[in-house]
Amino acid sequence: MEGMMTSNTETIPGFTITKSLGIVTGSTVRAKHIGKDILAGLKNIVGGELKAYTELLMEARTEALGRMMMDASQRGANAVVNVRFATSSVAGGAAELFAYGTGVTVVEG
Amino acid sequence: MELASQLLKGDYLITEETGELLLLLAIAITVILFVALPALAFIYSMLFARIHQSSDQKKLLARESYTMQKLGKDNLVTLSKPFPEREINSTGLVMSNITVAPSWWQLFLGSIRSIFGGNIVSYDKMLAFGRSEVMQRLREQAIAEGWDEVVNVRVETSMVMNKIKGGKQNKMGTLEFLAYGTGIR
Repeated sequence: MEGMMTSNTETIPGFTITKSLGIVTGSTVRAKHIGKDILAGLKNIVGGELKAYTELLMEARTEALGRMMMDASQRGANAVVNVRFATSSVAGGAAELFAYGTGVTVVEG
Repeated sequence: MELASQLLKGDYLITEETGELLLLLAIAITVILFVALPALAFIYSMLFARIHQSSDQKKLLARESYTMQKLGKDNLVTLSKPFPEREINSTGLVMSNITVAPSWWQLFLGSIRSIFGGNIVSYDKMLAFGRSEVMQRLREQAIAEGWDEVVNVRVETSMVMNKIKGGKQNKMGTLEFLAYGTGIR
């Protein structure tokens, strides 16, 4: 997925959009590991950052982004603009991470 | 036959007395696990949570002032274009996140406070910390990846890792902050 340009602005500076290929999406659902859950529960006593969850969610979000780029490249796009993220709790202790954007083809200039 | 039955009796160690003892032991373990430990944890939370959190806060302030000194300006903007128009060679998505939760003591204070309504100070602090921390992380991430500036920054909040028990949601109050933007150079 190298070379796929992503941006959360409407255009990519220095490039011109030639074709819009519609919405591209990528999502993943992650549940926590029971051991990490217990550790996070202990950390919860004093509050503050729960590192285990932070890492887990970042990993998952990167994967969702990767899937979105895969979708874009399958449609023949070489860039994704206006990327947005959404997070939702779908079931107890699981989170869905969703990334979406518009797949476009761009040319330099 | 006699020998066998004797052996069986001998092997069968749990008599009435030891049975009672085991029962008492089981009760004691249950009490320690479900009553004493949470109570101790709650007291610990009451006494030491503030120390843990204020040390995090101090670290954050130090990092913020360090990046401010190094760059001379804030490298995050919510505009979709850099304000003094400039030439841009490349762009890329930058993101950072943090998961925070209030301590048990703060949860307890918050639940009392929510009876009367009003400003819940203990939650305020937690959320303010999480939000400034995630933005600071975005700044650091941008610097590490070599971006000059991050435009179109968005900060999102979501409740994650909910525990749904008998209709009561998100007992722990775990929140995730996400900051993302487009890095330019």
